[in-house]
Amino acid sequence: MSMFNRNEKDPNTGVAVGEKPAEFTPAPVAAASVVKPPQPSVQPVPEIAVAKSAGPSVISKALKITGQLESTEDIRIDGEVEGDIHGVSVTVGSGAKVKGSVYGQTVELAGTIEGKIEAKKVILTSTAHMSGDVIHQDIRIESGAYIDGHCRPGTNKVDNKPMPKPN
Amino acid sequence: MGALMPVAPPRRLLRPPRAEGSPGALASHLSKAITVNGDLESDGELHIYGNVRGQVCADRLVVGPGGYLEGDVIARDVHIEGRLAGRIFALNVTLDSAAEVTGRIFHNTITVAKGARIDARMPWRPPSYFETLEQLPEVRQ
Repeated sequence: MSMFNRNEKDPNTGVAVGEKPAEFTPAPVAAASVVKPPQPSVQPVPEIAVAKSAGPSVISKALKITGQLESTEDIRIDGEVEGDIHGVSVTVGSGAKVKGSVYGQTVELAGTIEGKIEAKKVILTSTAHMSGDVIHQDIRIESGAYIDGHCRPGTNKVDNKPMPKPN
Repeated sequence: MGALMPVAPPRRLLRPPRAEGSPGALASHLSKAITVNGDLESDGELHIYGNVRGQVCADRLVVGPGGYLEGDVIARDVHIEGRLAGRIFALNVTLDSAAEVTGRIFHNTITVAKGARIDARMPWRPPSYFETLEQLPEVRQ
């Protein structure tokens, strides 16, 4: 966003903002507080996620992905994915739809999956709609969840899967 | 099955302008740990900090620092602070000083910051070109 930074001058003092003297005479300060400058055109600079280059990935409900996702961190899906998902902690929100397999350490489902879940820990919440097999080591199914498929404890296959390594 | 599928009208690639309000709920975020192989279609904002290979359609696309996108982009607004290899079709393009772009930039307005590395042709097009875009032109060498 640095491209939008200008060394703006304060309209009242004529002193560039960046080079304010350490000792500041009270007069200009008072003037500045009395005479309100016209709303500075400081746009809400679109640095929505500048500091968020790390952290979980979010697939919002407006997004549809056709293809594979692979992450070494958490993924939250509220939109639509057609393809396989490999993550660490994968959350499929209510209203989300996944056609494909979901692999991870933890998979929490509140939406719809047509495919397979293969994870150490699986949580199907009350709004979950699961069509396909669930391979798990630890599963929790809340009342109301829909499952059409086999639920079977994973052998050590889950462990042997080449999990995405953290960087 | 599907033999009597009605013929859909040709789909416009540029998403219609989204209604104001709660754009935050529509913002998607692909962190630096993620790799996507495939096409992305969004009616809202899309922030890419990871690796994406595929075609992207969005209302607004941001390739953040560290992000890498290989593929074509169709969007209203495109802001690049990372790397992009492919073609951009966007009404408004801004390339930050950290941007690295190779390919083509079809634009209506463009802003390039000092320091951006660009190896691309930048054809200007009228807004109607983007609004009625139904199929991307063939890649010419």
